[in-house]
Amino acid sequence: MWLRFGPIVLCIFAAGAAAWSFVPWFDIQQWAAGEQRTFQNAMAGALRGIQAGDPRAVWTLCSATAAYGFFHALGPGHGKVLIGGAALASGATLKRLSILTVISSLAQAATAILLVGGLYFVLQIGSADLADLTEAWLAPASYAAIAAIGVVLVFRGARSWHKMGQANQAAHGCCGHAHGPSIQEIATLTSARDAVALIASIAMRPCTGALFVLVIAARFDAFAVGCLAVITMGLGTAAFNLTVVTSGVAARRLAGLGARDHQAMQAVSATLHVTGGVLIIAISIGMLLPYLD
Amino acid sequence: MEQRFPVSHNFWGLLFVVMCLGGPAKAHPHVFVDARTGFIFGTDGQLEALRISWTYDEFTTLILFESLNLDQDGDGQFNDADRAAVIDGETNWDPEYKGDVYLEVGGQDYPLARPEAAAVTLENNQVEVSFDLPLSQPVRIEGAPAFLRLYDPVFFYAYTILPAMDPIDLPENCQAQIVPFEPNAAENALQEKLSALGREEAPTQENVGRLFSDEVRLTCG
Repeated sequence: MWLRFGPIVLCIFAAGAAAWSFVPWFDIQQWAAGEQRTFQNAMAGALRGIQAGDPRAVWTLCSATAAYGFFHALGPGHGKVLIGGAALASGATLKRLSILTVISSLAQAATAILLVGGLYFVLQIGSADLADLTEAWLAPASYAAIAAIGVVLVFRGARSWHKMGQANQAAHGCCGHAHGPSIQEIATLTSARDAVALIASIAMRPCTGALFVLVIAARFDAFAVGCLAVITMGLGTAAFNLTVVTSGVAARRLAGLGARDHQAMQAVSATLHVTGGVLIIAISIGMLLPYLD
Repeated sequence: MEQRFPVSHNFWGLLFVVMCLGGPAKAHPHVFVDARTGFIFGTDGQLEALRISWTYDEFTTLILFESLNLDQDGDGQFNDADRAAVIDGETNWDPEYKGDVYLEVGGQDYPLARPEAAAVTLENNQVEVSFDLPLSQPVRIEGAPAFLRLYDPVFFYAYTILPAMDPIDLPENCQAQIVPFEPNAAENALQEKLSALGREEAPTQENVGRLFSDEVRLTCG
């Protein structure tokens, strides 16, 4: 099974890796960080405008946060890793994955609003402590949750291989009635449970930038404006992540091109589960490492 | 039927690189700092202290206003209490924190003491903090250059080293040169580091982090 379809998947994966290595990531990140800095300063200017009572500053702020969200997402962050890996592995449609992406970005904004609304207003916790809480606890918790989802993907892929192996043996035995797992059985993200797990693991860790916007807005007695700005920031992030989802789905379709029958589809799907899962685990553990010292 | 785990050795190699990149290239800076540096030599020609200044971006400045509850009278100016609060927050750091300032002398991390003579200003909506950072022991710089690097191992702070506004005079035989972070150089250095690593050896975060920083090269003699 693997001998037939593994090479196709591996080839596509290797081509992807080669393309990846030609992308000037460091330059892109430098550039993205520069843009982020520009929009961060624009956010500051707009926030000062709001403090001074300039009504137009609301729109300046929302455009700046949307752009900030987009450029901030350009760094290899936690959400993209999961969404990209899941898009590669799952059988979900582009439409469904896109909706999941937008919801998870908005849920991330909601987490920021709830955190600031709850901890800052009710418990009077300062912004520095909020940022510490996010960086020290929520970030690693989110990476761990994402790594766990990667483990689930690998497990599903491996189980599917195992079943296909058994089905093959049974088929060789006599009657050919034995079937492997259905595509639906191993396709990920088609159930509500999977979708909730994906959204929760991303939303668990709000963007620190969003927390700061909310806290500063609150100080200027404009918390509602801050909420609006954070929602547009989430939409900016989603806009970038949608490109990641589209690439993941395209890579999956490409991998499935060689598979003509049901069994071949299963093999490709299982292999993509393992590939996507291992990628998610590797990158999220890489992100977790600094916290384990 | 044989079930093999479908990954080649190349795959593990690639995976390792991806994991390593995940650390320093995490690339979610939230705080942008324009840094300026200077070297303070004693009359005996030994390097005694570093002068560091950090100019924060406008957004971080607003965050500082909020978190330290500055400018309560709302006149847009710092009073003495505001300045004291910023200096305490910025320079009275935990013993385990190194101030994101790393001095390399003779290929080794050189120990630094605690900040002194700190000052703070507010200009163009940006807070600037400056201070001296004495070396634990004065040291003579000769032969190999010394390197001053400013970086945050987890890249929450992104430092850019700029030329000093009013440079401190160096001894006649010394020169300081800013070497900006250069993506290709960092990438190559990372590749070399990765290929040089033994199988059991994991790269430490700090060593990888410094590949991504601007540095000031100090040569004497």
